[in-house]
Amino acid sequence: MGITSSIQIGPYEISYPLKPSVSSVQRYGQHKLPGRLFVVEGIDGSGKSTQLSLLHKSLDAKGYGVVFSEWNSSPLVKDTTKLGKKKKLLTPATFSLIHATDFADRTEHSILPFLKAGAIVLCDRYIYTAFARDVARGMDGEWVRDLYGFAVKPTAVFYFRVPLETAISRLVGARDGFKYYEAGLDLGLTGDAEDSFRLFQGRILEEYDKMIPEFGLTVIDATMPVEAQQSQVRRMVQEHLESAKELRIQP
Amino acid sequence: MRQTYGKQLPGMRLTDLPGKLIVIEGTDGAGRTTQIDLLKPWLEELGHAVLDTGMTRSRLAGEGIRRAKEHNNLGRVTQSLFYATDFIDRLEKEIVPALRAGFIVLTDRYIYSLMARAMVRGMDAAWIRSIYSVALRPDAVFYLRIGIDQLLPRVVFSRGFDYWESGMDLFPGQDIYEGFCNYQAALLEEFDRLAAEYKFEIVDASADANAIGAQLQKKILEIIEPARREPRSSMPSKFSVESFADQVMAKLTQSAKTEGGHFSPLLPPETREGLGMEPRRTNGNGFGPKV
Repeated sequence: MGITSSIQIGPYEISYPLKPSVSSVQRYGQHKLPGRLFVVEGIDGSGKSTQLSLLHKSLDAKGYGVVFSEWNSSPLVKDTTKLGKKKKLLTPATFSLIHATDFADRTEHSILPFLKAGAIVLCDRYIYTAFARDVARGMDGEWVRDLYGFAVKPTAVFYFRVPLETAISRLVGARDGFKYYEAGLDLGLTGDAEDSFRLFQGRILEEYDKMIPEFGLTVIDATMPVEAQQSQVRRMVQEHLESAKELRIQP
Repeated sequence: MRQTYGKQLPGMRLTDLPGKLIVIEGTDGAGRTTQIDLLKPWLEELGHAVLDTGMTRSRLAGEGIRRAKEHNNLGRVTQSLFYATDFIDRLEKEIVPALRAGFIVLTDRYIYSLMARAMVRGMDAAWIRSIYSVALRPDAVFYLRIGIDQLLPRVVFSRGFDYWESGMDLFPGQDIYEGFCNYQAALLEEFDRLAAEYKFEIVDASADANAIGAQLQKKILEIIEPARREPRSSMPSKFSVESFADQVMAKLTQSAKTEGGHFSPLLPPETREGLGMEPRRTNGNGFGPKV
């Protein structure tokens, strides 16, 4: 028995292993890319998406090449996530993994290539959402952080911090109720959607607070007027862009 | 108590898992499926309940992976994580419940194939190990080891080269034959490393399928019935199962006759199946229809 080092089939002879020339996947913090990556984070109702869309408009107006990528939006993975949510198949572990798969597809197709090309990439939610949610669902914090070890480290992360009651009052009436997984109803904490949302998002807020020093999140007080938050964000983004010499400008 | 490779999933109780977890590993074409198709009816004949499972068979992600593989835009990190999702879904929803119910779980590939594939694709070894640190340590890993020179004819003269089995996502510039050789060679190297690290039982997979089957049966008996060292017969195959069933049928028919009544098979279908009277509900092993 043994694996031989050459074979002879017909006229061909091949020696192996011919080392596959595959580059290794880089880890968080290792990437050196010409583009810039800005991320907004915060619980539902924190106003982060509004802020990101305003930032997007200002960068567009300045002529930068801007790309937007949203949490849980991979076309390759979305049917599986939808199936899991609809049939309530997801456990904390598979919930975590399917979102990581979605994020991996977006990293490989929507984030990394554009950063390599010198674009500004804007992400509505990033790995910190997974860290907060999955740990609130009982996953091991270290395991989840390892899971997302392939993510590109953002240039800046704006964390829109808001008290729970403010977020809830913004959500009530603004949407058609609280969704099953978003409210953490899969955890069976309580049967009532609003109570469950309060408990679950409360845990998530605690996790975000722990991540402020761990990942150097930039905290924005999301109870301030929209305009005040936006001017803070724009000022900080501008500072980061001044040092970026290889950014692409729109044709 | 059962052990994992380091981390524990929330809600996964590691006590009271009396079943046995037996892994059949090997590269593409090593004969894993053939062996499982031989082992399952044999174990059932011995009276053990068997769950067989394998990659992409999860309810959650199996279909999604198949669809994603139809196109050429499945990235390597995405691929690794999609397979991890499939694995963990089966671990939580199939493997652990079966072990809790005392089943013998025969799994066609386990975390090792997934790790090997990921590492060949340039994934960080520590990263992939961390993901699978939540997997259960199996009772045995049988690695069907085969060289490429023995593997090639099996592939060439049966199903032909497959895009993914040839690592064409890795070597798009090569033809599929070169891709196959390179990819499988890289996998074999990875497997040999894993075999040493995880103490696989190495089985020479170039041998005849029945001979391999007999080897596996002997080793599996040592795990599941430590008191009984020798298998009942060296190679209980289709024929011995049927002759056993024939004997039972003959007895039943005879007793029905002597009692003056007419024989009707009153046994429930599961028992009849267990005795080999009904076609087995296994997949494509030649013993019964595909289901």
